[in-house]
Amino acid sequence: MSKNGYLQIHDPLKPKGHAVGIDLGTTNSLVASVVQGKPRCLPVDEGEAMLLPSVVHYAKDGGVVVGARARKLAAEHPTDTIISVKRFMGRSPDDPETRKLGHYQFAEGPGRVVRFQVEGGQPVTPIEVSGEILRALKRRAESHFAGKVEQAVITVPAYFDDAQRQATKDAGRLAGLEVLRLLNEPTAAALAYGLDKGSQGTFAVYDLGGGTFDVSILKLVEGIFEVKSTGGDSALGGDDFDRAIAQRVLQAMGQGSPSPSLVAELLAAARKTKEALTDAPEAELVAGGHRQVIRREDFDAWIQPLIQKTGVVCRRALKDAGVTAAELDGVILVGGATRVPAVRRYVAELFGREPLGDIDPDQVVALGAAVQADLLTNTDRQDEVLLLDVIPLSLGLETMGGIVEKLIPRNSTIPTAAAQVFTTFKDGQTGLDVHVLQGEREAVEDCRSLARFRLSGIPSMAAGMARVEVRFQVDADGILSVTAKEQSTGVSQSITVKPSHGLTDEEVERMLLDSIDYAEQDIQVRQLREQRVEAERVLMDAAKQLGEHGALLQDGERAAIEAAMARVQEQAKGEDSHAIKEAIHALDELSRPFVERVMNQALSQVVAGHSVEEY
Amino acid sequence: MKCWNCEKETTGRPFCPACGKIVPRPPGATLFEVFSLKPSYDVDIPALERQFRELSLQLHPDRFAQADARERRLSLEQTTALNEAYKTLKDPSRRAFYLLKLHGVDLDREDAGTQKDMPAEFLEEVMELREELEGAMHHKDLTRAQAMAVDVTARQREALHEAADALRALHQDGSNEEVLVKKASHALGRVRYFTRFLEQVEEFEEEAVV
Repeated sequence: MSKNGYLQIHDPLKPKGHAVGIDLGTTNSLVASVVQGKPRCLPVDEGEAMLLPSVVHYAKDGGVVVGARARKLAAEHPTDTIISVKRFMGRSPDDPETRKLGHYQFAEGPGRVVRFQVEGGQPVTPIEVSGEILRALKRRAESHFAGKVEQAVITVPAYFDDAQRQATKDAGRLAGLEVLRLLNEPTAAALAYGLDKGSQGTFAVYDLGGGTFDVSILKLVEGIFEVKSTGGDSALGGDDFDRAIAQRVLQAMGQGSPSPSLVAELLAAARKTKEALTDAPEAELVAGGHRQVIRREDFDAWIQPLIQKTGVVCRRALKDAGVTAAELDGVILVGGATRVPAVRRYVAELFGREPLGDIDPDQVVALGAAVQADLLTNTDRQDEVLLLDVIPLSLGLETMGGIVEKLIPRNSTIPTAAAQVFTTFKDGQTGLDVHVLQGEREAVEDCRSLARFRLSGIPSMAAGMARVEVRFQVDADGILSVTAKEQSTGVSQSITVKPSHGLTDEEVERMLLDSIDYAEQDIQVRQLREQRVEAERVLMDAAKQLGEHGALLQDGERAAIEAAMARVQEQAKGEDSHAIKEAIHALDELSRPFVERVMNQALSQVVAGHSVEEY
Repeated sequence: MKCWNCEKETTGRPFCPACGKIVPRPPGATLFEVFSLKPSYDVDIPALERQFRELSLQLHPDRFAQADARERRLSLEQTTALNEAYKTLKDPSRRAFYLLKLHGVDLDREDAGTQKDMPAEFLEEVMELREELEGAMHHKDLTRAQAMAVDVTARQREALHEAADALRALHQDGSNEEVLVKKASHALGRVRYFTRFLEQVEEFEEEAVV
């Protein structure tokens, strides 16, 4: 027992409460927790529903609605209701995935982050939208336990790159959660299955969700889940099946440029049709006054190219893991889109066996995440199980001629690190440009740019003398950090890589301030914001009056008003809304005589010859 | 090295023998030492796998999720080294390159001048293979490229054997070091070239399939 053991258990400053597992899905999100040794999903929406639709509606009055109620508002308020926000996480506005058929208005903004223009205020980023979903789940879990929930394991598609992982972690912070671990979804599913069955052997997890596809090959030996390889497509999922239907229907309707609300209605109707076709040979789609019967065989044909894409990915994952389909001990199906019969048939054929699907494919990821949250927080359970995961995409650096040199190959077990030594090529060179990329292709433009930075402060030496070691460290969440060190002098520089497509730390800090989790503080924050706006308005007004009507000022009045203005300005920088209000009040009082004279003069110009008192 | 927690002397193992806290890796430790092994080409792979699982259970950051920042950092450092050591030692070719590096020749460094050092026969072999592969790729002749891959895989295996023999001899007899290191580095230079060649064939295959 460590000497700190007592404090760790009873530390009153750290009331952590229950640790939960969260499946932050494209279509639906869930929260689960281990209760009395068993993982269970918690009810999250109206009634006893376990699935919280991942839909966020921004209302005119600044209010935010999450879940089934938000989904109902989507057709009427298509641009203010964000559906499938996960597709936009960590992506830039010009990403092909961002520009697929949809109904959003994008706003301009600093950085290369998607911003949705919504009702009721500032544009919101995908991180903030996801933060709202996580906050809603956190609150539901808290009301379920009647206690605090501050620690969570959040799942991400195994194929998420660094920018997408970072964005998910930031969303967790925004929701007031300590993110214990980002867990890959297929690994979470395997954990839920493996524990249930006490299995040994090699398994494939085929995970087709609303917007992402993953496949992982895992080996289970004595409680250790070792991921051998993973592959995927973070822009392929059940949403694309809906879009395939919607596009055919638009063609049939002869609609070349549909309105956002028609698109929203059509996508919702297409989703219902897809779901109906799971059990029925045909289903009728009704949207925008249009009716069309869709047959399952037509639907199967439309989505066939999408399904075949998953086959290419699976074959590569098997090859990377060094196993054949025949050597597998089982195939696990995860994700709502694996309910589509054509997908099940394809998977059975691809792997030459019937896949396992006995745990609800919607819940299995959240259940696995709950188990991992329990393993991470409950020291009694730690000898039982361990997950060893991999990095899904290679990491590299740009070299001469726009070629990417891989430093950490895909499917390396994490945490992992690699280092590269750079030398200067000019005498007296003191800076070096470093461009970090992620992906499998050779050319820089075909890989994902994670960060560009300049190593400065290299001591001036002859060409080739300075040797700078750049070290990549990937942690257990699959997130990268980079440090650099000049070897001959030991000058070291530490850089935390922020993806080029992400938010800056300052932006996240600001959002954190903007979204402090407690209702009481929300009110305070809103009051503060209002008072700041008021202060700005009053100051502008006073400055204008001083400028235009300086002749009406009496002795010493300008100095007194300016001092009061300075006081308002000073308080507006602070956090105390009352102090700002009082400073504004003081300025009002002090400048009243002057303002009255200004008003008198203005009136006298209109009503020539009369003073105010006469009216 | 003294333990950061109890200030007793540590042993080079990941945990302090006195207080049981996780400690930093000793500076300059080899990847073999992670598994308490002496540098050698011959490694008992099943035993290595077992040890990897046992050490992972003790060192992984998941075991330190609730620990303080220092212990979390040390867990990250120790597990990163464990993963690198496992990846390097379980693969015969990576293991050979690493042993050569311990003997002062790092073939992964482009500026090491090792390429210039290769014998003339090797350069001829490279030229011949490259021409033939370019021809096959030009004519989209997948069968020919695949036949070449079979041949090159055999050459690669043979070159790795040669390197392994030299590396084993190095550990038995230190007197002939310069000659043996050169022999191993020439053989591994060929292995590396063949690996890249096979990657090229693979890319060609993938393109041909799509």
